[in-house]
Amino acid sequence: MIRRLLLKAIRDTRVLLAAAILLGIAAQFASRSTVQLWSFVLINVLIAQSINVLTGIAGQISLGHAGFLAIGAYGSALVVKAGSLPLPVGLVAATLLGAAAGWALSFAVGRVRELYLAMMTLGFGMIVYEVVREWNAVTGGVTGLSGIASPTLRNLKLFDVSIGEVGYFRLVLIVTVAVLWLLRNFVTGPHGRAFFAIHVSEIAAGSLGIPRAGTKRRAYTLSAAMIGLAGGFYAHLVGYLGPETFGLNRSVEALVMAIVGGLGTLAGPVLGAVLFTYLPDKLQFFADYQFMVYGLILLGSFLVLPRGLAGLFLPRTAFIKDLAPLLAAEPDLPPPAAGGEREVPLLSAQDLSISFLGLRALAGVSLEVRPGRIVGLVGPNGSGKSTLVNIVSGIYRADAGRVLFEGSDISHLAEDRIARLGIVRTFQDPRLVPSFTVRENVLLGAHRRYRQSALASALNRPDALREEQAMLGAADAIIERAGLSALADAVVRDLPYGDQRMTELARALLAEPRALLLDEPAAGLSEHECARLGVLLRRAKKQGIAVVLIEHHMEFLNDLVDEVVVLDSGRVIYQGDMAGMYRSPEVVEAYLGLPAGGTDRQPEPGTVDA
Amino acid sequence: MEFVLQLLFAGICVGSTYALIAMGLTLTFWTTRTMNFGQGSLMMVGAVAAALCLAARVPPAIAAAVGIGLAGALMLGVERIAIGPLLKSAGSMGWVVSTLGFGLFLQGFVTKYLGAQPIAFPPLLFDSLAYVEMFGIRLSAQYLAVLVLSVTLMIVMEVFLRYSRWGRAVRAIAHDADVAALAGIPVRRVVVLSFVASGCLAGAAGILVCQITGTADPQFGFNLIILGFVAAVVGGMGSILGALVGGIALGVAEKMAGGFFSTALGDAMAFAILMAVLAARPQGLFGQREVAKV
Repeated sequence: MIRRLLLKAIRDTRVLLAAAILLGIAAQFASRSTVQLWSFVLINVLIAQSINVLTGIAGQISLGHAGFLAIGAYGSALVVKAGSLPLPVGLVAATLLGAAAGWALSFAVGRVRELYLAMMTLGFGMIVYEVVREWNAVTGGVTGLSGIASPTLRNLKLFDVSIGEVGYFRLVLIVTVAVLWLLRNFVTGPHGRAFFAIHVSEIAAGSLGIPRAGTKRRAYTLSAAMIGLAGGFYAHLVGYLGPETFGLNRSVEALVMAIVGGLGTLAGPVLGAVLFTYLPDKLQFFADYQFMVYGLILLGSFLVLPRGLAGLFLPRTAFIKDLAPLLAAEPDLPPPAAGGEREVPLLSAQDLSISFLGLRALAGVSLEVRPGRIVGLVGPNGSGKSTLVNIVSGIYRADAGRVLFEGSDISHLAEDRIARLGIVRTFQDPRLVPSFTVRENVLLGAHRRYRQSALASALNRPDALREEQAMLGAADAIIERAGLSALADAVVRDLPYGDQRMTELARALLAEPRALLLDEPAAGLSEHECARLGVLLRRAKKQGIAVVLIEHHMEFLNDLVDEVVVLDSGRVIYQGDMAGMYRSPEVVEAYLGLPAGGTDRQPEPGTVDA
Repeated sequence: MEFVLQLLFAGICVGSTYALIAMGLTLTFWTTRTMNFGQGSLMMVGAVAAALCLAARVPPAIAAAVGIGLAGALMLGVERIAIGPLLKSAGSMGWVVSTLGFGLFLQGFVTKYLGAQPIAFPPLLFDSLAYVEMFGIRLSAQYLAVLVLSVTLMIVMEVFLRYSRWGRAVRAIAHDADVAALAGIPVRRVVVLSFVASGCLAGAAGILVCQITGTADPQFGFNLIILGFVAAVVGGMGSILGALVGGIALGVAEKMAGGFFSTALGDAMAFAILMAVLAARPQGLFGQREVAKV
């Protein structure tokens, strides 16, 4: 009971705000060294959250975060000291310099992943460290930079008022609380959820209209801005900067705080920062063996504590704003388009060819879909069905041929641009964010429909909140139609395969696509789920969506599709209605390996699996 | 001119040790697609152990063997603790962080018990002042020995990988571990051996680097990983010859930049090269894995 109340309390913004105010008042009565330690805690909170945004949420590992910290720290110190400018200018400069560095670095490191990214960020941290050590004229080299305005030196002023430890702590507290509030609003909004999508699969994110490079750039910039600000605060807290503060050990410390606290959560990095500021201060043993202990923690944390302390003790962080969904009235299906318009293909692939390592996967394949029509795409495994969908959705580039959407050539567009035009796809294996709930995953589909800016979302501006409410309502409606209402708040990782597939379809539908490309949506579904899928697809058809459906399940296609296209070895061998397909000698041969006349066996209408 | 030749020579010698580091890193990359981020600390441990043996009047050959053997044995632990259990989880985050932690632990351990000061490392083969006169310049015999030893080691490895059963197994696993297992190759044993070999190479590289610097420094290591990695990437992550060319190119670039401008620029050079190479080939040699899965 107490635990429940406590857990409820820590999620309540008002409770947290009250706690922060109490802390600000309490500082009056604490000793100077205690207040200074509190300031260190807050700075570490910013540092840990910064790496959490980049590594935990956007999935881009950084082993050189101390580089950004140094840029912010020296930046602010120099602006205030050498430039004789007021403290707020220094702090703003620290934030902007950090952001600029992160933005610039993202152009180089945004192109690589995994191992390469780890090495490049490690290198970045070391280069900044070297520059700080060697650039005597600016950073003071190894002797460092001393006499920076700080409460300890009694020379720190804010708007001409001298401020001491307590005043400085309150300043850091106010700013940190504000940053955390903005961060929470951001990651529970569409742009924050996009970070998670990039984390899990860049291709799946792209197919929802989330640009890879731009989203990563945003993550680097945001993360570096936060730690740059932390650097500025640090510089004015201690009054002295030397290169040794910004070596690899500092980057590692940032990582340790975030990992032990819990990457990808909001409370975790705060816990981690508190823990790893207090431990070395209070335990002599810990201080002596600090880096050996950090080494051991990194060595074992992913095995022992894969989700950190927050994963162990706290309820899951929700990545949805706590708002009442705005239930839109059941949208009237748009009236069927006039007969003439129906005859114009919405999406057409013309003469597509592609080879992989000399292997011809598609050789001159053409396909047309009209609004409100469902085209089945059938063929033995390896016949080129998925390849065709991959080309249309912009994941592969065709060697020859082109793809037209509403008459304009989209062959050269990146996959997120294609998705934003309204061509949305699903994958053969559902590509969801495993740590998200069904509702959060479905909301990702709405990405291309959101109009709010990242800033509006972070500020919780009323128009952004209204839009979020409307999307929540739309998501709930689709979740219900997909039969997932009871599971809306279940984490996708724990769900059976069929539910994951339906979630992915619901996500694609929430995008309000104009053309929908489905790669074996019925595979692995129960009969009941298949029926529901059929209902959803008929509804999509009525709404005028052009559907391309890859399927092996013939019975399912029989009374659903308007037209079927059969591929074999990268060529179209049949195009027409279902009944004709069963009689086509080429199709029979492709599936049974026998000339149609050579046997009196005919493929039964039913599941044909090559 | 003589100055340039001297820099060139020093660059080639230093670069050959980068190539050796690169080879140690790529060996495990071939078999498991992982790399030990604590490899630098392993080099340090090998060198420090050898230096301690030498200080205790152990014959140089045995001292070197102790250093190399210790690094190899520790790498066995890396595979067991830091990499093996984390290979199943998606992405590289787990093992990058755990091997980094391993390296930090080793560094912290040595610093704690031996102090942070560099330990004198006596020259093993030649006096540090001995030289050979060639092309009108004096080449340090010590540097020359490092070059010869590194290149010899690499040739031995190349021959071994190319013509021995074990070497062919490594290449088969690099191509496709599942198919290799189906073909009856004892994948697990080959993987473990590749880690031990990688550790031994790190130990050897550590000792050779100390022949150039004259000291074994508990702090050294982490920038050497980057240099070794750059050499591997420049060389294309695939071949030993590539690593040698990459390492030497990097060593020469570093020494030239250091000689004409400043040593700090020499370090920055490595990073610039890394950026340029990866920007040109963003996925490295084995990229596009996700696309292939669609």
